[in-house]
Amino acid sequence: MRDHLGRACIQVFLTGIFWCCLAVAAMAHASLTGAVPADGAVVNAPPKTLSLSFSEPVSPLVLRLILPDGQSKTLETFVLRDRTLEIAAPGDLAAGTHVLAWRVVSEDGHPVAGSTIFSIGAPSSAPQAAGEAIDWPVRTALWLARIAMYAGLFFGIGGLFAVRWLIPDGAAGLPVIKMALLLGFSATVVSLGLQGLDALGAPLSNLTDRAVWSAGLATSFGLTVVVLSFAFLLALVTSSRATFSGRAASLVAVVAGSAAMALSGHASSATPQWLMRPAVFVHVVTIAIWIGSLPPLAYALQHGGDAARQALGRFSRLIPVCVAALTAAGLLLAIVQVQTFDALVSTAYGNVLLAKTALLVVLFLLVVANRWVFTKPAERGELGSARRLARAIIIETMIALAIFAVAATWRFTPPPRALAIAAAQPVSIHIHADKAMAEIAVTPGRAGPVELSAVILAPDFTTMIPKEVTFVLFNPQAGIEPMRRKATLQADGVWRASGVVVPIAGQWHLRVDILVSDFELVRLQDTIEIPR
Amino acid sequence: MLKRTLATVAALALGSSAALAHVSLQLKEAPVGSTYRAIFQVPHGCEGKPTNVVRVQIPEGVIAVKPQPKAGWTLEKIKGAYAKSYDYYGTPTSEGVKEIVWSGGNLGDDEYDEFVLRVYLTKDLKAGETLHFPVVQECPDGVAERWIEIPAAGQSEDDLELPAPGVKLLEATNGH
Repeated sequence: MRDHLGRACIQVFLTGIFWCCLAVAAMAHASLTGAVPADGAVVNAPPKTLSLSFSEPVSPLVLRLILPDGQSKTLETFVLRDRTLEIAAPGDLAAGTHVLAWRVVSEDGHPVAGSTIFSIGAPSSAPQAAGEAIDWPVRTALWLARIAMYAGLFFGIGGLFAVRWLIPDGAAGLPVIKMALLLGFSATVVSLGLQGLDALGAPLSNLTDRAVWSAGLATSFGLTVVVLSFAFLLALVTSSRATFSGRAASLVAVVAGSAAMALSGHASSATPQWLMRPAVFVHVVTIAIWIGSLPPLAYALQHGGDAARQALGRFSRLIPVCVAALTAAGLLLAIVQVQTFDALVSTAYGNVLLAKTALLVVLFLLVVANRWVFTKPAERGELGSARRLARAIIIETMIALAIFAVAATWRFTPPPRALAIAAAQPVSIHIHADKAMAEIAVTPGRAGPVELSAVILAPDFTTMIPKEVTFVLFNPQAGIEPMRRKATLQADGVWRASGVVVPIAGQWHLRVDILVSDFELVRLQDTIEIPR
Repeated sequence: MLKRTLATVAALALGSSAALAHVSLQLKEAPVGSTYRAIFQVPHGCEGKPTNVVRVQIPEGVIAVKPQPKAGWTLEKIKGAYAKSYDYYGTPTSEGVKEIVWSGGNLGDDEYDEFVLRVYLTKDLKAGETLHFPVVQECPDGVAERWIEIPAAGQSEDDLELPAPGVKLLEATNGH
């Protein structure tokens, strides 16, 4: 009997301990079982109520609605019906993507949190934030250097070529050509440092930093600078030689200088490269021959004489071919870069192209007028018309300079083609852990509707086929609790989750839950910057 | 009187355990070198769906596994080799049950049930540590709840979203 009582006492004691343990260890992982509007849903009209259903009764700690403009609204009116939380929606919901971020606690005080997304009308991309500040001094310096570079290339290198091959009588213009060469060379060298400043986002005062210059050299523009500098130096060194070697050097300089321009820049980086780079080269080399001929021709005509007439004849025969090639190459570049007529008006690049074309039309009209009105009489040897032609050529030169100034602004305006590519470019990260690693991409790389994809690899870089992959996105700064999206394995071995909406731009935490086997889960987590 | 008190305490314990949202072990502590009754408490299904399959992975160092059959559930014992040989009351044991599967059942999301194993905790297990039994609940349409996360060094179960149920190992008591 005593023994029986003792055992009973022990049982009571033990049961009590278990009960206490349970109370302490009771961690409630209440999970969301449903939401209205459903997660990821697109609804036509703003909902009057929002509801969240859980696996057990919960009490809300924070309910927040993040609006399409990025603002967040705390929701305070709600009722709990059994395991469903019904929340009154604000009355003035606008169209776009909303995030309902919730943090609830179930019976024992362990909070759980999550986010559901719904869109009214259609998913919206992120609200527009303030753009990047523009460093105007650096930008102006880059622009001026670019104009000087063009002037050096076209009037200097092109001019030297013209003097050596087309208009020997224009040798009187050599001092001007040499000045242009010097100017172009210095501008080319300086623009390397400016390019470095631009690449690093550093102010003009940092121009003496070595890091700035090596950064400039490291960009694709670095190669252009090296080759162009070589062309300028070659032209400068041989500028006084009228011998065969001088002629050869001027030819090498004009080819190298034009090739340098095809080595970098928007147009050269467009596809198909086999077509675009030669197009840039042809465009530049024909400009150099045409525009480069203008000052020597003006000098020759002012000088007068038979040689000038012969030169004018050669120029008049050669230039139409040059201009035809120049226009064809230019048109090709424009079509590839601008893509649509709308872009001519709607993008800065298109506007520059329009301005350049307008100046070009004026230039062509002048050229045509010169050819019809002055050239024939001048070729016949009428001195007055030769002088007038020389003046007209000076005006043409000025317009050419204006065109260079306009074209130089292209340095700052990505073409519509590049804009479209940049917008569709994915943002990607690589997460490496002991048990697995993942290459994750968010496509397109901006806020709004995106597709998440991941390639899962074992630590030894061999392919790994997990049972399940789930993406988890959360943004504590914006108060957005984890949003989960299950990925499906595609035939190409990539895990994809589409129809995901990243509601706002900014720094997100991205986690990939990899179910390696039934009982093994690997979580990889990192932060990812999603631009607007 | 005593019996009624016990019943009340038991009811309280049961009531409180029903509030547990993840699968847990009812007995939180056990000495190594002893037999342990692992009672898995399944408090709900997956995302509102009923549980049809419960799978328990047997951790290394746990041998002589005997599941308790349940009416309405098919029992499966998946056997395999252990990482090493364990001593079971003087007998070296190098293979045995590695996974237990209860399938074909239908445990509603708003219902509670327990799944029981009797196991032997070998003395190779370290007292003071927590032994985890990863558990998977499978529901219709390929949905599953996986209580399979084991805390890494410096982590606690609270840090995990899907903690595997665990039992704290105590020093071996003398004799058996």
